[in-house]
Amino acid sequence: MRGLQLPLTQTQKVRLQRALEKLEALLSKANSNASVTVADTIPVNYDDAFLKGHGTTEHNGEVVATVCGVVERVNKLIYVRTLRARYKPEVGDIIVGRVIEVAPKRWRLDINYSQDAVLMLSSINMPDGIQRRRTAEDELNMRSIFEENDVLCAEVRGFQHDGLHLQARSQKYGKLQRGQLLSIPPYIVKRQKQHWHYLEEYGIDLILGCNGFVWVGEHVETKDEMLVDQDKPESQTSKTNDYSMSLESREHTYTPLETRQNICRIANAIRVLSMLGFIVTIEVVMEVVNLGVSQNMDTHEMLGSEFCVLVAEREAERRSQKRTRGN
Amino acid sequence: MLHNKSFVKKTKSGKITKNVREHYLRDDIYCGVTICKVCDSSAARLSGSASSPILVLDTNVVLNQIDLLENPAIDDVVVLSIVLQEVRNRNLGVYNRIRALCSNSARKFFVFSNEHHKDTFVQDMAGESKNDRNDRAIRVAAQWYKSHLGGAAHVLLITNDRENKRKATEEGIPAETIEAYVKSLDRRDLLDLLVRPASEDVNMEEVEDLRPSKRKVIYAEHKPLSEITSGLHQGIYHQGKLRVNRYNPFEAYVGSESIGDEIIIYGRGNMNRAFDGDIVAVELLPQDQWHEENSLSLADEEDEEEGVHLVPGSADDAPRTTNLVQSAAGPPRPSGQVVGIIKRNWHSYCGSLEPMPMPAGDGGVAHALFVSKDRRIPKIRIQTRQLGNLLSKRIVVTVDSWDCLSRYPSGHYVRTIGEIGDRDTESEVVLIENDIDARPFSSQVLACLPPLPWSVSSEDLANPIRQDLRHLLVFSVDPPGCKDIDDALHCAALSNGNFEVGVHIADVTNFVHPSTPLDDEAAQRGTSVYLVERRIDMLPKPLTEDICSLRADVERLAFSVIWEMTPEAEIISTRYTKSIIKSCAALSYIEAQARMDDSRLADPLTTDLRNMNTLAKIMRHRRIERGALTLASAEVKFQIDTETHDPLDIGMYQIREANQMVEEFMLAANVAVAEKILKHYPLCSLLRRHPTPTKEMLEPLLRTAASVGLDLDISTSKALADSLDRAVGEDPYFNKLIRILATRCMTQAVYFCSGDLTLPEYHHYGLAAPLYTHFTSPIRRYADVIVHRLLSASLGIYKLPAIFQDRPQLTSIADNLNYRHRNAQMASRASVELHTLIYFRKRPTDTEARIVKIRSNGFIVFVPKFGIEGPVYLTERSEKGGGEWFVDEQQQKIKRMDGSISYGVLQKVNIHMEVVEPQPNRPKLQLNLV
Amino acid sequence: MEYVSPEGLRIDGRRPMEMRKLQAEIGVVAKADGSAVFEMGNTKVIAAVYGPREVQNRSQQLSDQALVRCEYSMANFSTGDRMRKPKGDRRSTEISLVIRQTMEACILTQLMPRSQIDIYVQVLQADGGTRSACINAATLALADAGIPMRDFVTSCSAGYLNSTPLLDLNYVEDSAGGPDVTVGILPKLDKVTLLQMDAKLPLDIFENVMQLAVEGCKAIADYIREVLSENTKQLEYRRGL
Repeated sequence: MRGLQLPLTQTQKVRLQRALEKLEALLSKANSNASVTVADTIPVNYDDAFLKGHGTTEHNGEVVATVCGVVERVNKLIYVRTLRARYKPEVGDIIVGRVIEVAPKRWRLDINYSQDAVLMLSSINMPDGIQRRRTAEDELNMRSIFEENDVLCAEVRGFQHDGLHLQARSQKYGKLQRGQLLSIPPYIVKRQKQHWHYLEEYGIDLILGCNGFVWVGEHVETKDEMLVDQDKPESQTSKTNDYSMSLESREHTYTPLETRQNICRIANAIRVLSMLGFIVTIEVVMEVVNLGVSQNMDTHEMLGSEFCVLVAEREAERRSQKRTRGN
Repeated sequence: MLHNKSFVKKTKSGKITKNVREHYLRDDIYCGVTICKVCDSSAARLSGSASSPILVLDTNVVLNQIDLLENPAIDDVVVLSIVLQEVRNRNLGVYNRIRALCSNSARKFFVFSNEHHKDTFVQDMAGESKNDRNDRAIRVAAQWYKSHLGGAAHVLLITNDRENKRKATEEGIPAETIEAYVKSLDRRDLLDLLVRPASEDVNMEEVEDLRPSKRKVIYAEHKPLSEITSGLHQGIYHQGKLRVNRYNPFEAYVGSESIGDEIIIYGRGNMNRAFDGDIVAVELLPQDQWHEENSLSLADEEDEEEGVHLVPGSADDAPRTTNLVQSAAGPPRPSGQVVGIIKRNWHSYCGSLEPMPMPAGDGGVAHALFVSKDRRIPKIRIQTRQLGNLLSKRIVVTVDSWDCLSRYPSGHYVRTIGEIGDRDTESEVVLIENDIDARPFSSQVLACLPPLPWSVSSEDLANPIRQDLRHLLVFSVDPPGCKDIDDALHCAALSNGNFEVGVHIADVTNFVHPSTPLDDEAAQRGTSVYLVERRIDMLPKPLTEDICSLRADVERLAFSVIWEMTPEAEIISTRYTKSIIKSCAALSYIEAQARMDDSRLADPLTTDLRNMNTLAKIMRHRRIERGALTLASAEVKFQIDTETHDPLDIGMYQIREANQMVEEFMLAANVAVAEKILKHYPLCSLLRRHPTPTKEMLEPLLRTAASVGLDLDISTSKALADSLDRAVGEDPYFNKLIRILATRCMTQAVYFCSGDLTLPEYHHYGLAAPLYTHFTSPIRRYADVIVHRLLSASLGIYKLPAIFQDRPQLTSIADNLNYRHRNAQMASRASVELHTLIYFRKRPTDTEARIVKIRSNGFIVFVPKFGIEGPVYLTERSEKGGGEWFVDEQQQKIKRMDGSISYGVLQKVNIHMEVVEPQPNRPKLQLNLV
Repeated sequence: MEYVSPEGLRIDGRRPMEMRKLQAEIGVVAKADGSAVFEMGNTKVIAAVYGPREVQNRSQQLSDQALVRCEYSMANFSTGDRMRKPKGDRRSTEISLVIRQTMEACILTQLMPRSQIDIYVQVLQADGGTRSACINAATLALADAGIPMRDFVTSCSAGYLNSTPLLDLNYVEDSAGGPDVTVGILPKLDKVTLLQMDAKLPLDIFENVMQLAVEGCKAIADYIREVLSENTKQLEYRRGL
């Protein structure tokens, strides 16, 4: 069984156990036994027409699961939603990725998928914001836009013959700086309308990438970014100056300590949730952050066992409340 | 089922390695008491009632009192697995015996796996020795039995360990010593079976006082094991198996690998309480003492002397003193003394009590000395309550201990065989001494036999694997009166001028199936044993004498090897098949010979015989050309009175052409089969090899030959065979004598598993054959049964039994066969010796003899007519050193000081043979010069 | 040597047809996509699966299926005597290959073209049957990584000592030198994917021994299914809706 790699005292263990049991009870009430493991037969009404979706196969006329997960039925389609698996891209997903390679006319990004994703030079908004054909000079200057190991935010455009393509045709997409990248299992990130969150009271941007990459960074005004971008062409005229320039600009855009602490707090909140395998939404994250504040937890204590148990208990409570409210 | 309580155990072995072993504790181990209501009683053995207690034995009881336990009076015994384990580590022989008891359905012995029972397993405690832990485990198990059975049965812990008994009593477990328990049974005969514990000091005093030595230290204390181990490491001590000279019990040899030579140990003092077969640690004596006690005399202590015995058949049973005579010239051989005994080889011995006056107050405990039949064993001191009864009996005695204060080991009486001198008793002694199982076959074994009367069925005839050879003129040639006929022959002339020659062997494997009780029993017995007056069969009588035996005029199943041969005896083709034959004649050698010699006869059978004989002669000649040795043995034959079974006449066994003819075809069949099975099963075939004798082994032969001016070339077997052929003196018997001497220099052929050795080692020296096996006598040899199975598997008739996949087991079978084979030979010899003695008891005889060996006070002669060998003393035994005779080493002569008389090796002398009885009940044959 | 006492107990107290205690845990390596520890008695094996991910060496990329790689190693502390073994010795290479081929047979590789799956297995404690334990651990780790599979592969060994077929040999029994049959099966499809034996055994005995090993595999499959289903349920209820 999957265990927490945390030293728990006896009472903590009992508390955690109770909280988890509560969660289990809540879910089993809501959801009939739809979870399957590899090679389990999925019960199907064979009289009705059905379509086999992901994670299923046929054996001796039976529908059999090929992965562990939860059986989902959408109209005629029957598929198994995997839990712990790599990210499965869907068109329009907002994702966070990291540049691995700068290739001709494209960047390759690690997005926690079975292949690297491709971001074409033509699929981004140029820093100058002008819609135009990409020139050879642009190709040569690709590194000045995104370098290796840069973290950026993009949208899934779709599958082409050479793999998964991304696009970043909006000012809100692009390079992410001055923050933390977290990698959490993608199944605990819920696909929602909104994946960008501006937490005003902390001055922080939170991007919950559908691929399980989460960005917690200092808030950047899109407008400002535009301005900075507009500045850029001038700075790029003297290439030799580039490095010193960036140093200068780094100094210029100094992140205050408080913001940095807030980044860490929020990041730790997400870490705790991921450790417990709880779903990560903006509400839950904020609740955990607030819980930490209310319990006078230091940032580092948020990763300790006590806080972990507290979060579990709070989550159990929250869900049961939500249920009663829902009813 | 699986009780998941695993724990870790650490053990160290040599270098420090940590061994972690799982140990599962179970809740499905039952108590084995029939009346128990909780446990599954399907395998229960113990009756358990309120009156007779259930006995839980301590290790020391099993180890020391196994003879008592084997007595049916002791029953309802729980043997704990921890006890078995300890016994196994301490003494494998006792372990096997207690295991046999446990598996004997007639006895109520139950093995309780206490180590794996969840309630009786005990954890090692810190600071607790292994022994204490095991004792505790035994007590816990006894306690468990007590509470488990409640009032239904009485549980009694039997222990001779005082500490254990005390603790048990403290814990509320009823405990007794074995003595107390046996006394409570009120059986006097059982008390004799009891081993006196050396630790019982009260008794000890008493015992010591009775002995003349009065607590004098006679032997050096054995070194502690730790010292021996470190000594062995440093090379101060040498480890090896002690072998006592069969002909001089005061001389022993330890074959040491660290020295690469044998270490000689002279005298009981140096042997330091070691028995024959013990694994001992030896310390070399300083070099100047190496020759000290070497003596050329026949024997040098009180009543020990060399007796008359049969001529040895090979180097394995020849006396080993021979090369000592020569050692005077060469460098002295290392001699040493035993400092410790690593592993005892004690078992039970046959013999009789030394005559002694009856002690006053009969019925009390008497102390007596036991003299073993086996001369290598020292006298054994025993206690008995039935002395008057035992004095004239052959008894079996076991050794228990040998204290360094006592001259003789102490032991206890096991059982009585019968009157001394009685032929049946003495025959049984022979069997016991040679570990031969002469018990009737058990009912399980007999159940494996086909129903009688048996005849070839229609299924056998219809079986496609079986070829119908009933039309052939098959006959058998055997010694007269032979009932277990396992081979038959045929020889048919083919139209192309060639001959078809067939060897048909009884198809024993058709009846003896693998892993049946019958097969297990046969494997255990290994061979039939031929004594002078009886035969101990390997297979039950119906098989031996009827179903398998290829008797005349009945249809029998056979396994045939059929050759096509040219008239020049060149083999053109060989085929192997199972068959059905109908023998037309069961001839004796004499009859066959007579038919061949009688020129008037021209019937088909006689023609076939003659043809075969011609072929055999060519084959024999070719074999000798290859370097096969024609060795001779001094086999004798008795004529036995049918009524009294007493020997009437005795004489050398005569070998005829017919014998040689049959032998030749059997050899050919064996070789052919050996090739076939080895080809198919290069790793698991059972073959027979005869190692090439080393130069040292042939040394005595060379020396003897040289002294009579004969030069033998021993470089190859061919050279040796040729020079033996050339060795013809004026004396017609001379050549045979030399051949006999040559034979006894060689070791015996042995069975082995082909995977254990490399191809060159497969060689059979005596037959000069690269491959050889035994195929032709499956009725009386188990090796042949195995070979039959291999052959039929190689022909695809039957599957190869699983046993052949298990090389170690196959090797152990081969070892057992060698052991049994050797024992059977020894028993036959002993039986012949016994009958020789009986024969001469009434017939003092004068006869001709040859000197074969020179000693300082006489010589050893060989009596060709009776095939026996024995010492002739020139000097009286009283006058030691033999002043007036001296030995000429070079010429192998013993001469009188004044030179008037001299005796040389191979010289002919006339002797007088007579049975004398120097001590009551100890008759022996004495040879005197006429 | 007596490996089965006449009372029908083996040296460690099991009966001939009994397996050692099984123990499995999923999700033991935080950074891996899937991971598991599998214990059979004192044999303990850890497996980690990475992927499916981009093929590291482009030239090995397969356009129609995933590339499966496997690396087997034995921790230096896994045996009684601490030995520094060179990486990639013959034995490791062979077992790596065996595990790779066995797992490849059950992974639906065609669903993940142009990607690579890495399986790392390491023996933490060796007490016989490491090969089987590795395969079982790898199955668990693959299932944990959400990699689509036709079926589990479960493996178990059986031997033949003292004329008795024995299930799941431990180190002592393994080093007795008798035949050791390692079987891997796909329990649902009822197919054999792995069969190894480096000794001779007559066919009828071999069939018995193999049947015993297959029974063992099925028992392991039941256990693995239980562990996985428990794991899936827990993940699901923890995540919530």
